[in-house]
Amino acid sequence: MGSAALASMLATDSQAANKVNAGARPDVPHHLAKAKRVIFLCMAGGPSHLETFDYKPELDRLNGKPMPASYTEGQPIAQLQGKELKCQGHLTKFAKHGQSGQLISDYLPFHHKMADDICVIRSMVTEQINHDPAHTFMNTGTAISGRPSMGSWVTYGLGSESENLPGFVVLTSVGGRNPQPIASRQWSAGFLPSRYQGVEFSGSGQPVNYVDAPEGVQGRQQQRLIETIGQLNQHRLNSTGDPEIETRLANYEMAFRMQTSVPDLADVSDEPQHILDMYGARPGDGSYASNCLLARRLAERGVRFIQLYHRGWDHHGGLEKYMDICCGLTDRATWALLTDLKQRDMLKDTLIIWGGEFGRTPMFQGKGGAGRDHHIKGFSMWMAGGGIKPGQSYGATDDLGYHAVDDVVHVRDMHATMLHQLGINHHNFTHKFQGLDMKLTGVEPARVIESIIA
Amino acid sequence: MRGIVPLIITLVTCTTGTHAHADDELSFNRDIRPILSDTCFFCHGPDAEHRKADLRLDIEEIAKQDAIEPGNASVSELIARITSNDPDELMPPPESGKHLNQKEIDLLKRWVDNGAIYEPHWSYVAPKPKPAPKTNSAWARDPLDDHILAKLPKTLSQPSPDSARHTLLRRVTFDLTGLPPTQEQIKAFVGDSSPLAYQKAVDRLLASPAYGERMATYWLDLVRYADTVGYHGDQDHNISPYRDYVIDSFNDDLPLDEFTREQLAGDLLIDPTPAQQIATGYNRLLQTTHEGGLQPKEYLAIYAADRIRNVSAVWMGATVGCAQCHDHKYDPYSTKDFYSMVAFFADIDEQQHFKVGTNSLPTKRPPEISVGSRWQRELSVELESKLKTLLAKLEEVDASQAKVINRQISAYQKELKQLKASNRLTMVTQSVTPREIRVLPRGNWLDETGPIVDPAIPEFLGKLNTNGNRATRLDLANWIVDVENGIGGLTARVFVNRFWYLLFGRGISPSLGDFGGQGQPPNHPEMLDQLALDFIADNWSIKRMMRRLVLSRSYQQTSDTTDTQLRQDPYNQWFGRQARYRLPAEMVRDNVLSLSDLLVRTVGGSSVKPSQPAGYYRHLNFPKRVYAPHLDQRQYQRGVYVHWQRQFLHPMLKALDAPSREECTAQRARSNTPLEALVMLNDPAMIDAAVAFAAALLKCEPEENSDAKIKRAFELTVSRQPDSFELTSLSKLLDSEIQHYRAQPEDAGKLLDTIDKNVAIESVDPQQLAAWTTLTRALLNLQETVTRY
Repeated sequence: MGSAALASMLATDSQAANKVNAGARPDVPHHLAKAKRVIFLCMAGGPSHLETFDYKPELDRLNGKPMPASYTEGQPIAQLQGKELKCQGHLTKFAKHGQSGQLISDYLPFHHKMADDICVIRSMVTEQINHDPAHTFMNTGTAISGRPSMGSWVTYGLGSESENLPGFVVLTSVGGRNPQPIASRQWSAGFLPSRYQGVEFSGSGQPVNYVDAPEGVQGRQQQRLIETIGQLNQHRLNSTGDPEIETRLANYEMAFRMQTSVPDLADVSDEPQHILDMYGARPGDGSYASNCLLARRLAERGVRFIQLYHRGWDHHGGLEKYMDICCGLTDRATWALLTDLKQRDMLKDTLIIWGGEFGRTPMFQGKGGAGRDHHIKGFSMWMAGGGIKPGQSYGATDDLGYHAVDDVVHVRDMHATMLHQLGINHHNFTHKFQGLDMKLTGVEPARVIESIIA
Repeated sequence: MRGIVPLIITLVTCTTGTHAHADDELSFNRDIRPILSDTCFFCHGPDAEHRKADLRLDIEEIAKQDAIEPGNASVSELIARITSNDPDELMPPPESGKHLNQKEIDLLKRWVDNGAIYEPHWSYVAPKPKPAPKTNSAWARDPLDDHILAKLPKTLSQPSPDSARHTLLRRVTFDLTGLPPTQEQIKAFVGDSSPLAYQKAVDRLLASPAYGERMATYWLDLVRYADTVGYHGDQDHNISPYRDYVIDSFNDDLPLDEFTREQLAGDLLIDPTPAQQIATGYNRLLQTTHEGGLQPKEYLAIYAADRIRNVSAVWMGATVGCAQCHDHKYDPYSTKDFYSMVAFFADIDEQQHFKVGTNSLPTKRPPEISVGSRWQRELSVELESKLKTLLAKLEEVDASQAKVINRQISAYQKELKQLKASNRLTMVTQSVTPREIRVLPRGNWLDETGPIVDPAIPEFLGKLNTNGNRATRLDLANWIVDVENGIGGLTARVFVNRFWYLLFGRGISPSLGDFGGQGQPPNHPEMLDQLALDFIADNWSIKRMMRRLVLSRSYQQTSDTTDTQLRQDPYNQWFGRQARYRLPAEMVRDNVLSLSDLLVRTVGGSSVKPSQPAGYYRHLNFPKRVYAPHLDQRQYQRGVYVHWQRQFLHPMLKALDAPSREECTAQRARSNTPLEALVMLNDPAMIDAAVAFAAALLKCEPEENSDAKIKRAFELTVSRQPDSFELTSLSKLLDSEIQHYRAQPEDAGKLLDTIDKNVAIESVDPQQLAAWTTLTRALLNLQETVTRY
């Protein structure tokens, strides 16, 4: 920042500047945190648990036979409504991997290498069977619009550790079957203050909307402009005492810093080739691999909640072909991210969560080759790092992979566990809205999954 | 309320929001109910299923039978339990996360000792007339001023001085039209010492079509108006004529009761006019899904809940939506009440799109009708009547005259055809045979064991008399605005409170959408009641209520805040000053466009698409979306016309807190974030405006020196002269910019190459223009520019 004026402005408003990124809750953390940040890898569209982590020999035996009605009667069904329901056996092989011997499918060779690092939950359930509300449910704990996403909750509680970047950042990539849309509602701050909303970074083009100064305006001009705005606002502050002005001063500072910090973040030319190769990232291609690398860079810079969406997992048909594509695009980079964090000693305080908005039916659907419909009564996710027990499996579905039956983990339980690792007691983490003490975990029972915590 | 101890008032404000104090009479609604509601009713309130120990504290008889000994706190179980040292006995239970502080405990003790007097919840009691307190003050202009004056805490005993004239005009112009005053208007007003000058200005503003646009912006937030369906593919749907209907209605000052009837049930009125049919688009504003694999029954349940949340929030200031799965925890709405309200809307055919809704743009959501704008409709009627006359005339005339008349007829027919060609489709309500509505146990749409319900108003509010006929949406609408036999008085209160909020930055009750037990009761209940009654007596005229409020002395106070005020009344709940806050998103946009003279004042029409960052819709699919911004003048229409994409609202509007309109928004957030700063600094549309502003400065009065120009620009922007510090700062900035662009003229070229071609810059020296653009950018980014004082 070279300029004396700007420096003095920064000094006088350092307190306000801190406010920009601080959490709003002096009462958190409630207890000692194991995780400082979260990287949520959302496989949008709903990956099949039956081709990734949930092996059911019985399903193979019944392949092509009618699905027993005892499983499906009275259950919500999406596109297979009114259709004949037949069992679809696994479309790949499973084997045990690592010392822990976790069952992982052949679609995920790089996951085999981290079998001992991740904790697979095979008993997830959710409540929404269509993509958009299911994402909303996964992110906010309810399907009603207008509620804060988990990233906003976490940043609201803990703030960001970065002075130069927002606390909650979202990155997206595409590849696979016709990608389902993703609404910005998924990273909305809902009724929490807007500063806790997720900010979308684009892996290609302008990284953040409006972060670039106009054409023909050089950095030092922009700096002079912001200085003048600052001086005039400061002058106004002196004469009116309006505290809102202090916040505005700090925000213009932050905006100015983002004009440098965001391009710095996106510019991966300082990464050695072996790191780029490890992720399989080509700078600026907007791929999941590049986003994983950016996720690590964001984590290093103190961003609190980093959420990646890879859109392409909605495999109603052509499941084998599209699994090849989706896994090909994500498997390696996911491993690279985990491994890279581990080698930087950051996995211990970074909680990684992997999963979709729901799973897929044990029943056949055939929209262009064998596929599976949406399924909410049992599916798999995994967690790693941030104080989660590595190399462990938790919960199970029934013999056909339909209902979660052992140690059922509701989305709310996942939220409660995530908050717990961040030092937050989900019961007490409330915000008044419309006269109610709103919580990420809502009013229905939610539990921390104690047995997966290291 | 005289004699308030300042320390206590500050403390109480910060903790519970109640305002009782040692030497004051307790009020159940103001002091006690909020505590009971917040900490006790969850388990000892209206919700039967979760009630603990079969104890209700919300019903006086039961409470006094089981837990309260009136007049004797020391033997009352309630007091024993809230003061117990035994964690197993203590209420509220520690694990509930609820907690009573000492002040609250003392209040409850005092209340029991004083006889534990209950009052019905304030908002369910019809407003009662009460003359304003006599203050004998020369300050008051309206009885409401007496109310404000009488309640000012002693430490703030004086209201604030009147605003400076330029500030007042700027405020009232933004508040009533959403636009800034022109420099001429400021000059004329500041120079006009006649006592009627202000009133004349107010009447001019209320007569401007911009008034309707400004009021519509708020209404559209309430009813969650948007151009897209909201869920999944977020496809466009046809609805913009409804937006124009809202603007027309405010401009015509359509009484609120009629406005209500037309929107909820215009189709059920006798021989509904096109406007009344368009109005029923209200019932179609909810979010819908067009995702393959949707389960129709699930979405009918989701739509039903969406409707009830909105109707109850907009008109009743109630959160009836909470009773979807369980009886309301705090207010007397039962699950049955919820589904009985759903039944009013069972004749709306929202199922058609399950079959015919497509991924096209716009999607199909029948029923829709094809209509023109109001002026087009009026012109059509006129032309049709002329045609009729001419056709009749044809019968009576000879061949040569017929030729002339025929020529005229074909001219009219051509005109009519052209008019119809610009018609727009709009979703409406057309009543069909009502579908069966059942109570869904725990809100579960898969459970069809619940009883079938007929349309009915919430039980505790009475019963509709429909002579044995099934109650309709029209019955509901009538009940909402019926002062004698319905909740008209309550409805009037809900809206008067919101009009007040639009003009004072805070409601008389700050809970604009929740007048229930968990909302914050008004500090000036008598004033709110009186205004509600006056509103009804004045035939529900919104315009006249707005006029009255802005003519009050209270409105005209300065928003400059003294340290004492900031300490004693940080949230301005006693209205001893005006409020200052960032302008809403649309006003920020319109202000900038207005200053740069780009604003296009066409009223109404289909939605407009200003430029936005490339790829902003990349996550949309079904179908994939390419945003085609309007490249012509339409992009400069007011913010109220901007295409409202629920899933990806225009990033400028979003950064300035415009809501996605998925749910009712009675009060927008007023944030102040780095993303807003980035928009104001770098959004190409802001740069276009800054260039246009600079070009206009340079073109006008070419002989003027730079300081005079800076002064003019400053005054244009914030309606006042800069002081010497401000002038020097800006002047320095300008000098360095001029030097820069002289040294690097190619930068000026780069900047100006990106500017929208509608911005006229041909005759201006590029280097000068680029340098002055930095100056206008500085002005557009000032706190003062985006603030309503």
